[in-house]
Amino acid sequence: MHIPDGYLSPSTCAALYVGAAPFWYVAAKRTNRLLHSRLMPRISLFAAFSFVLMMFNIPLPGGTTGHATGIGIATVVLGPWASMLSISVALAIQAIIFGDGGITAIGANCFNIAILGSLATWGVYKLLTVSAAAGSPRRVFAAGLAGYVGLNVAALATAIEFGIQPSLFRDANGAPLYAPYPLHIAIPAMMIGHLTIAGLAEFFVASGLTAFIQRTDPTLLGNATTTEPQQTSTRRLWMVLGILLMLTPLGILAAGTAWGEWGASDFADPEARKQIAAASLNAPLPVHPPQGLAKLSSIWTAPVPDYAPVFLKSESFGYMMSGIFGVGLVIFASQIVAWIVRRART
Amino acid sequence: MGLFEVRQLSFRYGARNALENIDLNITAGERVVLLGSNGSGKSTLLRLLDGLYLPSSGSIHFDGVELTEARLADPQLLIAFRRRVGLLFQDPDVQLFNATVFDEIAFGPLQLGWTREQVIAAVEEALNLFNIAELRDRAPYLLSGGEKKRVALASVLVVKPDVLLLDEPTAALDPKSQGQLIAFLQALPASTTVITATHELSRIEDFAQTGCILQQGRIVKHGSVSSILDDPALLRTADLL
Amino acid sequence: MSQFVPGSGFLARTASDLHAAARKTFYADEFAHTPGFLQSLDPRSKIVGLGAMVLAASSTRHPEALAAMLVFGLLLAIASRIPLKVLAARAWAGIFLLTFVLAGPAMFTTPGNPIIQLPFGIQITDHGLKTAALLILRVETAATFPALLILSTPWMHVLKALRVLRVPVALVVILALTCRYIVLLLQTAQDMFEARESRRIGILSTKQQRQMATSSVGVLFTKTLVLSEEVYLAMRARGYNGDVFLLQTFRMRPRDWAVAIAMPAGAFLPLLLK
Repeated sequence: MHIPDGYLSPSTCAALYVGAAPFWYVAAKRTNRLLHSRLMPRISLFAAFSFVLMMFNIPLPGGTTGHATGIGIATVVLGPWASMLSISVALAIQAIIFGDGGITAIGANCFNIAILGSLATWGVYKLLTVSAAAGSPRRVFAAGLAGYVGLNVAALATAIEFGIQPSLFRDANGAPLYAPYPLHIAIPAMMIGHLTIAGLAEFFVASGLTAFIQRTDPTLLGNATTTEPQQTSTRRLWMVLGILLMLTPLGILAAGTAWGEWGASDFADPEARKQIAAASLNAPLPVHPPQGLAKLSSIWTAPVPDYAPVFLKSESFGYMMSGIFGVGLVIFASQIVAWIVRRART
Repeated sequence: MGLFEVRQLSFRYGARNALENIDLNITAGERVVLLGSNGSGKSTLLRLLDGLYLPSSGSIHFDGVELTEARLADPQLLIAFRRRVGLLFQDPDVQLFNATVFDEIAFGPLQLGWTREQVIAAVEEALNLFNIAELRDRAPYLLSGGEKKRVALASVLVVKPDVLLLDEPTAALDPKSQGQLIAFLQALPASTTVITATHELSRIEDFAQTGCILQQGRIVKHGSVSSILDDPALLRTADLL
Repeated sequence: MSQFVPGSGFLARTASDLHAAARKTFYADEFAHTPGFLQSLDPRSKIVGLGAMVLAASSTRHPEALAAMLVFGLLLAIASRIPLKVLAARAWAGIFLLTFVLAGPAMFTTPGNPIIQLPFGIQITDHGLKTAALLILRVETAATFPALLILSTPWMHVLKALRVLRVPVALVVILALTCRYIVLLLQTAQDMFEARESRRIGILSTKQQRQMATSSVGVLFTKTLVLSEEVYLAMRARGYNGDVFLLQTFRMRPRDWAVAIAMPAGAFLPLLLK
């Protein structure tokens, strides 16, 4: 599930770094305010725990074993924001020190697993534990299911990122440059393993640990340590995210030209020059001899209305829309959950 | 006037009373040993003296100033206090949280706002004093028990505190390392106050003149070390024999 | 993330996974202290230079450029006296299997001109072969450079040198703390599993095994929580008050500057070639 270097185009990686950045920022702000300076060791220790947890073989029904990521239990105990930071740190360490997952893909892996995974886990857990006491058996099941859903949302996001690569990035002959399978292959290939084995391991670890905590220190399941979003203080975040959501696909699509990957000749083509200039926020370009730029025309778009028709007809636009739709759905769902939880409290 | 003045101190962990009605005076330069079995509250008392916990009731004065949440939140007062008081944790894995020995020893001076040159000079001096210069780039998990203890001590003493709080300093040390540690404590300047928490009676007279026996969060005896060692009945009730 | 292994002996298997991870952790610095070309460089110039190589390997669309970069990586390893066996185990082997499984079928499914006809109407296409080869080459090349960095540099220096990429001090410290406690938790888990394995009697059902696994995880989790509070106190006892400071003692010499400039320049040259 950890994406290595070379599976995603640099522009997709860059877009996902940009997508992850505001979450990291808000998470750091929010958790810092709530936990003060305790934040630093706590994030580190949970990251270390998540790392070591991945070594544990969890026996599953049917005689197989699987590894959990800790996303479920981290979100249940720490809340979504601190969990986001902890799992991101674990992923960064894995990439930098252990070569597990790519350096250029840290943003993508963090976005999928740490951010989307934590949000989805939190949403399911909150929804299922409305008005449940800290010791209630419902929490055990809720934590398990939340971990299961969280991990699978992360896997789905990864599959979508793989799946859009072949339609966006091909060489002059049409051969894919990065991950070669389209969505209809990438999604089932990723999801089967996660819906069965990895998801179940996550389910058992999250529910087993929740039951363990209920016996040993139920206060951890209260609100003492969690950092759950509150309407008033997060409204600005959702606004920023909304704007980003609208911009992100443009970033990924603009990358359809593979920003920074155009050959020297592209600079000379008037059409390409216009497009590159738009993609480069109208920075002036050096002049070079003219040549064709046909490969870009089918998938190119830019934040300029004139290009919109081409953009809408493009096949990759449909793929992109499913991606945005997915991300939007997670955010929308978590808002709904927050609303239900608030209603249930008052 | 005492360096530490503890008045009617109580401390609760959740519902449990960890310390109750502690009154204690410690003068500058005194060598004190806090004796008690596991869970008697001596580690908690050290942490209260170090300002890491705040009393649930009662007060602690250090050098005439009460340790309060507001005072410890004031960066300047906090730095001045941390500069003067050092705590050696019992578990070296907790104490040694940096990735290398050099960074471990540099952590304290850096937090206290020393300049780059001051930090480097102080770290070099500590590395030589504790004979651990060759460990400088090692990771803490590659050290032996005795080496860990020396690095931990160096990381506390690098800022030259005048009060040293030691939590079970000889625990899990071989006899040779124990001997080195005690020799080191004896060689400290006479003005240094040393408060040691331990449950081992052996050799306490080598590094302390006065002692307190703690039992279930209360001080049951306070007196000279020789008077404590001469009272086997009390030592037995306090689970020290 | 998951593996298909028959049900029994998960304790032993976990213990061996933990052992492998611990070994990797303990011996990570093995080649960082031997004399060699990369070892002699400032970690910051290595981050910039080798980082540029990773970026270039992910960006280029020319197999020739990738092959050249891979050869360059091999030369760096030889100049740094890092055995290719070690580099292969660390960077290439695991990722090759994964990528081969992923890229293999693409040889048949990618539309293009058939070059090899197999029975049952299966054919390998030119585009398919190119796609598979390009992906494998790209992934292996991109994995080589971070492995060279980490094999030739002590961890803590790698983390500190991240400051050159404007990574905030707090994050560097969090990463360092995480590394420190990964080792401790690995040791704890290893001790726990070896102790359990030695006391094990009879064959357990999958459910019992699972309960045992989650309760081990629970013990580790409790330790995590306690440590996180204790480490916080230990940091506070030495003056930590929310902000943290780092001391960097690296020095850039002319050769470091040369690497930091020449490597990125060389790496991105292929991108400009059409």
